[in-house]
Amino acid sequence: MGERWDREFDAVVVGAGNGGMAGATQLALSGKKVLMLEQHNILGGFSTSFVRGRFEFEASLHELCDVGTREDPGGAGVLFRDLGVDVEWAYVPEAYRLIVPEKNIDVVMPFGIAEYIDAFERYVPGSRPVVTKFIALAKEIGEALAYLAAMKGNPDKKVLLKKYPNFIKTATYSVDEVCHALKMPQAVKDILYAYWCYVGIPMSRQNFTLFAVMLYKYLLRGAAIPRYRSTGMAEAFERRFRALGGTVQLNTRVDKIIVENGRVVGVRTAGGELIKTRHVLCCAAPPKVFNGMIHPATEVPARALKSVNARSIASSGFVVWLGLDASPDELGIRDYSYFIYRDTDTERLYRDFSSLGRPSVQATVCLNRAVPDCSPAGTTILSMTILYKPEAWKNVEPQDYYRLKNEIAGYLVEDFEKATGCSIRDHIEEIDISAPPTYARYTGAWQGVIYGYEVDSWDSFLPRLMAMKDEQYIGGLRFSSGWGIRTIGYSSALQCGQTEALLTLVDMNNEGVTA
Amino acid sequence: MSDKPMKFKVKGSIRDLLRFKNLVKKRAKIIDAAPASFKEEPYINTLAARLHPELQHLVVREVIEETGTCKTFRLVPDGAGSRELAFFQAGQYLSVKLDVNGYRITRPYSISSSPSDALKGFYDLTIKRLEGGFATGFIWNTWKTGSAVTASGPLGQMYHAPLRDGRSIVALAGGSGVTPFRSMAREICYGRLDATLRLIYGCADDQEILFHDEFRELAKKYPDRFSFVMVMSCEETSVEGCEKGFITRSVIQKHSNPAVDSYFTCGPDVMYDFTGLELAALGVPVKRIRREAYGEIKKPLRFKDFPQSAVGRAFSINVRLKQGSVVVSASGDESVLVALERAKLAPPSACRSGECQYCRTLLVKGDVWVGPECDGRRAADRQTGYIHPCASFPVSDLEIVLPENGEVRKN
Ligand SMILES: Cc1cc2nc3c(=O)[nH]c(=O)nc-3n(C[C@H](O)[C@H](O)[C@H](O)COP(=O)(O)OP(=O)(O)OC[C@H]3O[C@@H](n4cnc5c(N)ncnc54)[C@H](O)[C@@H]3O)c2cc1C
Ligand code: FES
Repeated sequence: MGERWDREFDAVVVGAGNGGMAGATQLALSGKKVLMLEQHNILGGFSTSFVRGRFEFEASLHELCDVGTREDPGGAGVLFRDLGVDVEWAYVPEAYRLIVPEKNIDVVMPFGIAEYIDAFERYVPGSRPVVTKFIALAKEIGEALAYLAAMKGNPDKKVLLKKYPNFIKTATYSVDEVCHALKMPQAVKDILYAYWCYVGIPMSRQNFTLFAVMLYKYLLRGAAIPRYRSTGMAEAFERRFRALGGTVQLNTRVDKIIVENGRVVGVRTAGGELIKTRHVLCCAAPPKVFNGMIHPATEVPARALKSVNARSIASSGFVVWLGLDASPDELGIRDYSYFIYRDTDTERLYRDFSSLGRPSVQATVCLNRAVPDCSPAGTTILSMTILYKPEAWKNVEPQDYYRLKNEIAGYLVEDFEKATGCSIRDHIEEIDISAPPTYARYTGAWQGVIYGYEVDSWDSFLPRLMAMKDEQYIGGLRFSSGWGIRTIGYSSALQCGQTEALLTLVDMNNEGVTA
Repeated sequence: MSDKPMKFKVKGSIRDLLRFKNLVKKRAKIIDAAPASFKEEPYINTLAARLHPELQHLVVREVIEETGTCKTFRLVPDGAGSRELAFFQAGQYLSVKLDVNGYRITRPYSISSSPSDALKGFYDLTIKRLEGGFATGFIWNTWKTGSAVTASGPLGQMYHAPLRDGRSIVALAGGSGVTPFRSMAREICYGRLDATLRLIYGCADDQEILFHDEFRELAKKYPDRFSFVMVMSCEETSVEGCEKGFITRSVIQKHSNPAVDSYFTCGPDVMYDFTGLELAALGVPVKRIRREAYGEIKKPLRFKDFPQSAVGRAFSINVRLKQGSVVVSASGDESVLVALERAKLAPPSACRSGECQYCRTLLVKGDVWVGPECDGRRAADRQTGYIHPCASFPVSDLEIVLPENGEVRKN
């Protein structure tokens, strides 16, 4: 590809998703000359929103974990503070409302550890001891992870074993395995597992560490969303990044990451521009990068492909957005976050992600319950989400696509009405529906996947972290997204971006020394 | 809860610790056992590209003279850049990319053929030639059988959504604004769209009525699905059974049921303004009114809140490029988008109505006026200072960052 570079940067960030924006801002803050390239004409990746008529719909975020308050920030809050990214937050009122009609479950679970345990006891008398135990484990894990972060990934093994033994003991197990050891009754699991769909694999496989820390952080600090949708967060990053001297270039797709002798030397855009850099923070999925973006392809190590092929790709999404012409009060929509499940058997619910019948899961959010003025007075924004494995959509032809979307959306509306007793159908003023191809269209997501790799115990946060050095296949190339070390989720992707940026700075320093 | 870790084991203390010790080894084993093969093309991305191609490379297969001022251009895939046409929803449009003597512009045109026709291999665009029209004059002169045409994938929001719209659609069309409704009428009559369509079609001249024969035929053949009434605003007309004048509330009331029907409007901006008021007066809630994208505002002066200070004035726009910048001139009654196009800067655009966000641009300095029906900006975009140049008019000198045009290929 010759040496005719058009421009040169200390680092190039490929894709302005959550991890990319956080990483880019961290690098710029550290004084590096950074170029952030984004194929879409807006920043944010999944962190975005769109306007239909009088409504502005949130594209993806249900709730952001671990923000906390200005006075008492959580991990994500600290990240925003340290990067100087100023986001206006709104707070989610309750943890969740879980409705499982077939099992007569309809509970509203509050944030706050004591409040959560109390509510549990009310709904399932006698549950207090086992829930308390579960949360004590979760707390220990949360604290162990904080310790790991404070030690920058080099913990004192003795301290770990002494202070956080259960973190180590549970790390290789699934949620089911740990709850079995706790002798947790089914009636407790039914309610405790509600957040399972935020990770999206059955509890027999879902890694305990990840689930426990997520639940703990939600209960401890509640959840937040940006006041102006996740666009408000994305553009706060953009403003900060530009102010730090960073260069943003939208509408620019990176075609190739150019590699020589196992190390990044530059990138090429779809427009043919050649940009010289030795460091790439990459939001594009590893399967995509190793299956066509590395140039020349002979620079792709066999183990990188094995690494991709060994793992299972998680789910894509399907969302119905509704702008309703009546207020939440008029409609009787009392809560922010609804989990409506046909069953509590997560194996069964997960299996249904692979077929296109009537969905058995929905995670529905009424935005007005966190941001009352998110839509004009007398209106409501409701969004209903389910997950799909890509294979469910494999044989869909374009001419059946729109009909199919409407059919599934119809089921979701019907199921919501049945489960909650609220009538919404006659109030739909605006509607839009996304399906796996929608995610592929707007973000280029591999198979439309929004959740990266599935988080089995062998491929959860901890093993990814511990194997990190062995699994950096190309010098200077780091992955900063939900596909990265921190696994899925908004705050995970943000923190992954920041971590990988800090590691890039270490790489740069080391190079400086050897050069 | 005490600070001492609780006593706990999952399958046995030693076993738990051993498993942890072996976690990375186990991981390495699983990875090493996997094949080192490349994956095939991801099918969801393939489906996405078929549904939403960035560009479609088409050729004109036939030019059909419709009226004195309207022609239908039948477009088919060129077989090289595009092998098939993207499927769409009746009511959507294409953004046509044009290079008019070095000026790179776009124009939106509703697809007047049906989605089923697209499966058969063609799209029809029915285009009215405007007097002094910059694009239509060019199209008239250059689009012949065999000409290459580049267009976007199908775009736009004016289509039937079964969960929102009732089964009974009433279309209010003015002039060439009838094009999306022929698409809907066909799809409904072909039995591929489960709804009924009542078309109330306003025209200024007998000679200007589009698709009259086809509408009559469809109405005769499928009376339960499609019917139409002409509303002629000219003094003299020979159209039988037509209404005279404009699409007023009494015409609407006579030919539809404002208590239940869903109204779809498409036509010139003055018609939107007019029928919007009429529907509101009939008590039709916003929920049952859909409107095609407004189109470019031609005379911003007619809006009361347009700042008088900007009328007839010339402004300059400092345009930051990837490297360096240029200054272009603009006038208070042309959109920022047109100013950029006049300067041959080839900015991206599609709807030219403030709706699709394709032209989204960062305004660094200065003020613009934004048309009331065309402000599709997101709340955060307003805060950051993003504008949609197609719907923004300069009211002071400006400084902007030119968005990359994703279509511009360097080589
Ligand atoms: C969603 C939608 C669907 C539509 N569907 C149809 C349809 O089916 N059929 C149909 O006939 N129409 C349709 N229209 C209208 C159509 O898009 C155009 O507005 C119409 O064809 C006008 O084209 P024109 O350029 O000839 O006329 P004008 O828009 O009147 O041309 C003049 C314009 O060109 C600008 N201009 C002049 N010189 C230059 C230059 N050197 N460089 C750049 N700009 C210059 C002027 O400022 C002015 O804005 C639709 C519009 C919308 C929004
Ligand atoms: S071109 Fe659609 S918003 Fe400007």
